Amino acid sequence: MKKWSAILGGMVLAAGMAAQAQAETIHIWARSDDAVFMPKIVDAFNAAQTKDHVDLQIIPTAQMVQKFAVAAAGGTAPDALTLDLIYTPAFAAAGQLKDMTDFTKSLPYYKSLSPAHLSVATYQGHIYGLPFSGDASVLVWNKNLFQQAGLDPDKGPTNWAEFTADAKKVAALGNGIKGFYFSGSCAGCQIFTFAPLVWASGGHLFSTDGKTATLDTRQLHAAIDFYHGMVADGLVPAGAQTDTGTSFFSAFATGKVGLTSLGSFAIGALNAQEPTLKFGVTFIPGEKGGWSSFAGGDNFVVSNATKKVDAIEAFITFAYSLQGQEILAHNGSLPVRGDLAQDALKGLDARYLVTETAMTHGQTPYSTVFNDIINSANGPWITMLNKAIFSDPAAVEPAIKAAQSNMQSTIDTAP
Amino acid sequence: MNVLLNRRLSRIGLTHVRRRDWASLLYVMPALALVGVFFLAPLGMMGWMSLHRWPLIGRPRWIGFANYHAIWFDVGFWNALSFTVLYTVAVTIGLMIAGFALALLVEKPRPGVGFYRMAYFLPVVIGFASASLLWSWLSNVDAGLFSRLAQLLGFTQGRVNFLASYGTAFWSVIIMVIWKLAGFYMVIIMSGLQSIPADYYEAARIDRANVLQRFRFITMPLVRRPVALALILCISGSMLAFDQFYIILAGGPQNQTMTAVYWIFNQSFVSFRLGYGAALSVVLLAILLVISAAQLWLLRDREDLR
Repeated sequence: MKKWSAILGGMVLAAGMAAQAQAETIHIWARSDDAVFMPKIVDAFNAAQTKDHVDLQIIPTAQMVQKFAVAAAGGTAPDALTLDLIYTPAFAAAGQLKDMTDFTKSLPYYKSLSPAHLSVATYQGHIYGLPFSGDASVLVWNKNLFQQAGLDPDKGPTNWAEFTADAKKVAALGNGIKGFYFSGSCAGCQIFTFAPLVWASGGHLFSTDGKTATLDTRQLHAAIDFYHGMVADGLVPAGAQTDTGTSFFSAFATGKVGLTSLGSFAIGALNAQEPTLKFGVTFIPGEKGGWSSFAGGDNFVVSNATKKVDAIEAFITFAYSLQGQEILAHNGSLPVRGDLAQDALKGLDARYLVTETAMTHGQTPYSTVFNDIINSANGPWITMLNKAIFSDPAAVEPAIKAAQSNMQSTIDTAP
Repeated sequence: MNVLLNRRLSRIGLTHVRRRDWASLLYVMPALALVGVFFLAPLGMMGWMSLHRWPLIGRPRWIGFANYHAIWFDVGFWNALSFTVLYTVAVTIGLMIAGFALALLVEKPRPGVGFYRMAYFLPVVIGFASASLLWSWLSNVDAGLFSRLAQLLGFTQGRVNFLASYGTAFWSVIIMVIWKLAGFYMVIIMSGLQSIPADYYEAARIDRANVLQRFRFITMPLVRRPVALALILCISGSMLAFDQFYIILAGGPQNQTMTAVYWIFNQSFVSFRLGYGAALSVVLLAILLVISAAQLWLLRDREDLR
């Protein structure tokens, strides 16, 4: 009996080893912003089956593009990576990504995948990236301060007039307390939180194909006037003008600011770091109502050079399962499958549902030169906003005109 | 025939010299290889890249000298370069004065002088990035020390954001760099001061030369070499300034503190134009070569001319 079981055991072991030997190892890179959920989802995938194995490497966010470029040039690119979604058009245009159109469209829940992610993943009619992790910009308000200022602590502003009125009342508390905060020298923060004001009012920054900059609009003028007014009225801390993003989150976390626009990431961070700070989450409003949001996060892109497509598809399918979406939701990312979002977010802070809705109906600007014209700390987007919001009103018009022409010429001369 | 020739050559020492040449070449091979691999090869690669449209992602394409042609019309680069020159002049003057003054203070052995030397030198060992980060927090208008201090001392009415306007932002960085590097130039100049024999001063004193005369006719000429070294290091280093402007000001306010290297960084890694970035680097290298050569020529010793 013992002998038999030993032989059987040996056979099982051998079979296991054989399966191990055939298992495909795929190398995936993730940016450091994903350092919480990515290892968890990879571990769960590796534990759930033995056929394929994912080897994960976390890359500092700021170095992702450079590292990938160097690796691709040297023939050592990873099989796939989670890429900040705004870079998808640039990578696709450079011919670095595998066309995933057939696989994406074959998924039964294709229609439920985050539309904003898919819109930037599409280049010349083909899909080069799959929505993977999500974030969306929303407006948060400090309920403690609202209460002290005699405002309804459970109601955030729904248009700009209410926004300014609330900020004024909170700032009137004095003692270093201010009404509103934004990072005035941070290009990434401003596209995330300022652009939705324009979108919600019916304006756009570019045409849908990303070929024409459309800055010089009534909506952008109005949004600039709105911020300019709050700065001029002293409702915003002085440091906002030169903040390159270091206080994007912490300014609100200190509890001395009434309102600020942040992302869904802030809900978990505030709960963990400032448990006594009571805050509400609502949509970023338009001038007269309505709302919008910047849908951010990652697209999962597959390197052109890889041959391990089956294993990669297995991993994506796992990430799209309820288990995968739950892992995301519990570790700081919004689920990207709309049909599973409610279930994935069950039991979590109810305010995540606001951000999930914001992401589902949010926008992501489409440009192959996004880094140049928007994200650069010295690009036309932030240069325009900083000048227009913090200078006298006469500077607004020239600042917008300069940015418009600068952006358009960058778009026109893009390779 | 060969034997005769060799004998004749060896009589005049030629074969001997040749053999020694080969041997010495062999000895310097490791050093040459290092220079080749880590300096000449990357330099050649940079030159090669500068002749291409070389996107960070995607395939490079040969375009000849088009990148260099484009530099000529790149207003942003020339603005950045002229700002860099302005910064270099301001910071070099500041650093030389501060370095010289500190060196004179701590040159002579006195009780406790070691402590002061160490204290002045301490900021040098902090990395530029860390020092810049420290400075950006100290300069933060809402939470930093400087604006609070200026208000308490009565220099300003309320809190002032020193990083928000060009003038104060520029001088904030200059003061930071002087604080950070004065100790380094102090050490260089101090080594020069200490190498002057005490007899010279004694002889001058006997000849009734006063303090100023001793400084003018003994100290100044004899610290010429270390000062020249300090100047060359300071100017070439400042022309390559990047970290402090990137971290403290992000090139702001309104891109007015954009240095040449910062511009090159943006072209290469923000706009993903590696070929153009390489061409800009070649141009900056050429400019630096000219400046350094001019400095060496201007600061040459009379003995070098003989």
